Amino acid sequence: MRRDTWTLVRAAFATVLGVLSVPLAGSTGVHAQTPPPYNPYPSGILPANLDSEIARVRNEVQTVFGRYFAEWQALTPTPTYMGNPPILVPNGYDAQRILGGLLNFDENISPFRNEACAFCHMPYAAFSGPIPSVNLTMVAYPGSYHYRAAKRTAQRYTYSHTFPVLNYDKTQGLFFGGNFWDGRATGMKLQAPDAEQAQGPPVDPGEMNLPDTACIAWRLSQASYRSLFELVWGTDFDINWPSNTEQICSTPQGAFPTTTPVALSAVDRTKATNIFDHWGESLSFLERSPDVSPFNSKFDWYLSNPSQYPLTATEMAGYKLFNGKGNCNSCHLDGRSTTLTPGETDTGNTADVQPLFTCHGFANEGLPLNPRIALFYESRPDAFGFTFNPDGLRYRDLGLGNFLRSGPQSFPDPNQPDWLSLAPSVDGQMQVMTARDVALTPPQCPTTEAGTGKPYFQKEFFHNGYIKSLKQLVHFYNTRDSVPNPNGNTTYSYQVTSGHCPAGTVERVTCWPQPEVKNNIDMTTGALGLTDTQENQIVAFLETLTDGYNPANPTVSTYKNIDTFTGQCSTTTPGETASNQGNAYLIPTWNLAQFPCATDICGVPPLPTKPIP
Amino acid sequence: MGVCSMNGLLVKLAITVAAGSLLCSSPIRAQIPPPAKRAEHVEILKGPALEIAHDDLAILRWTTTNPGGDDDHFAVAHYGTDPKDLNETAKSHIRLNRSHADTIFRVLMQGLKPDTTYYYKVTSMGAGGHSDGVESSVNHFTTPAPGQVTSAHPPAE
Repeated sequence: MRRDTWTLVRAAFATVLGVLSVPLAGSTGVHAQTPPPYNPYPSGILPANLDSEIARVRNEVQTVFGRYFAEWQALTPTPTYMGNPPILVPNGYDAQRILGGLLNFDENISPFRNEACAFCHMPYAAFSGPIPSVNLTMVAYPGSYHYRAAKRTAQRYTYSHTFPVLNYDKTQGLFFGGNFWDGRATGMKLQAPDAEQAQGPPVDPGEMNLPDTACIAWRLSQASYRSLFELVWGTDFDINWPSNTEQICSTPQGAFPTTTPVALSAVDRTKATNIFDHWGESLSFLERSPDVSPFNSKFDWYLSNPSQYPLTATEMAGYKLFNGKGNCNSCHLDGRSTTLTPGETDTGNTADVQPLFTCHGFANEGLPLNPRIALFYESRPDAFGFTFNPDGLRYRDLGLGNFLRSGPQSFPDPNQPDWLSLAPSVDGQMQVMTARDVALTPPQCPTTEAGTGKPYFQKEFFHNGYIKSLKQLVHFYNTRDSVPNPNGNTTYSYQVTSGHCPAGTVERVTCWPQPEVKNNIDMTTGALGLTDTQENQIVAFLETLTDGYNPANPTVSTYKNIDTFTGQCSTTTPGETASNQGNAYLIPTWNLAQFPCATDICGVPPLPTKPIP
Repeated sequence: MGVCSMNGLLVKLAITVAAGSLLCSSPIRAQIPPPAKRAEHVEILKGPALEIAHDDLAILRWTTTNPGGDDDHFAVAHYGTDPKDLNETAKSHIRLNRSHADTIFRVLMQGLKPDTTYYYKVTSMGAGGHSDGVESSVNHFTTPAPGQVTSAHPPAE
């Protein structure tokens, strides 16, 4: 991040906002004057309906906030502390859960009071990205300061709490745990990676964008639910706030030369940080609660009693492929039996009644660079003189490797003596997400797949949103490297970038562009030898991992707040199928040789084992 | 069915509930099992053979009995243009599946030259460094001309 001098920044700040001080604001009251939108993007990167979709999601966020507020108001009896140590009873779980809900859906945790955490993570998308047109185009969601955005898809909250503190297992030679695609929310301090993940977006320049973590405490001190926060945490909001606190907290990050522009005493800074930590912990509790992670998918019912709650023949075929030829459960662990001896038939039962469908590790699956990602284009200063991505088109996503090097667009590595040397071995690796809820959609858009005859909800998959349907996802795993053919294997793999597939091929169907990062490719996948029907069967099985299933009424989801989608489902256009879904939005990638990987990413020792194009 | 998940952190938070509706008994922390027992003997069942070759890269494929040990394994190829001097090494991540009797290994070799015959032998090892104790004989393949693709006949499976 480049900054002007503090003098120039203050001048720019005053010019843009037009005031030198802002009165203290209530929790839903005075809104800071917003600067002109930041729009460095070429035509077509931003979806045409972005403003209306932002407004839609904001209304939905406010609806859910209202529901949690009503839950709080209706919480009876009022929880009180009893015992020694003091424990909140009789409904402390509800108090903590409701608090997490309020925090997650509170738009005031952003400079312009216009973006809650939930803006990018809505329940009807399993707490992932709620705007279909964004999922088709810019991938990352616009932050509080429109239209600044980051670099990756918004991960599902579901089961994120199951990831342990990031650790390197020397016996296995593998990293496990952490949150975010690159594992940078390690959980080191709060012992819960998802709590530390929740602390990232509020001060991320591409997301909620507050300039100082103390701003969370400041805004919470004005919140309509402050008393609930104090009930749960007993937190002391008695902080001596400087008179310009609201002015600062109404300004996006990047306008200040430090990360602590709110001038607090050491004691008050500690209080504010403690509030910030408790804030993350409450969000973690929400994520592990049945509101988010209920373990009640069709597959969970099947596990509880296979004869009473059977899978369909297609779903069962997909399940067997998931464990068998598809080999999906080598990483997306489903709690199956352990190693067989040759010739032995697997007759074992599932060993884990709550399989998490992830190994909690990392892998580089060889996704192509996605030229639609917003971050690539944010290489010129905004109205505050802040440049979000000075690397521009030279940015490359090395994932865990970039984090271990404390690289740009990531966090500092807190265990450099042990981990820095491992960076080349993990370049390109991203978190192995749970497969649970990958297919969760609003009820009125009952599928993620085009071409099924039903309205569908457009999602984006993997860290860079390159894949646009579950069919493509399975097809990618199946055919990335080669495809069986009686006369010799053929290939869909081409040494091209996205948007440059050879004539006669169809990208994502018969053409896979080269990986963005060719190092450390996971070769478990890429040539599974599945037929088209078998791919479809695996998709059907993945759909059984959707929470909110009620066997008494299978067409009505019980997933909390799944009824809050007020947008439009997508409908299949002529010639569109799940295989080529999203292809109308492909754009040509720039010449990588003209914009090679930036030196602050690819030139930081220890260097990648092979050069990154 | 409405099982939920608990966290030891909750104990630290000192919050509990008297009513039973949200009680649950499942662990929420990831259960990362220790490595599986290593197989006493590993045998190559199929291959190795050329799965696919472009003018600058190739993928070799073979199947062994499940070696056990570290879940994260490496497929390894030692190769070169002289069968007596296999001085290059390629390693690729392979994730073992504990419920499978066999393991398919695939190794990606990059930076090759077109129209060139490469000699190779393959082996495998756990991510922790233990060899699986099996190695193939020396085989060979030839990369195609620029812009072409080739594979084994019959196809490697």
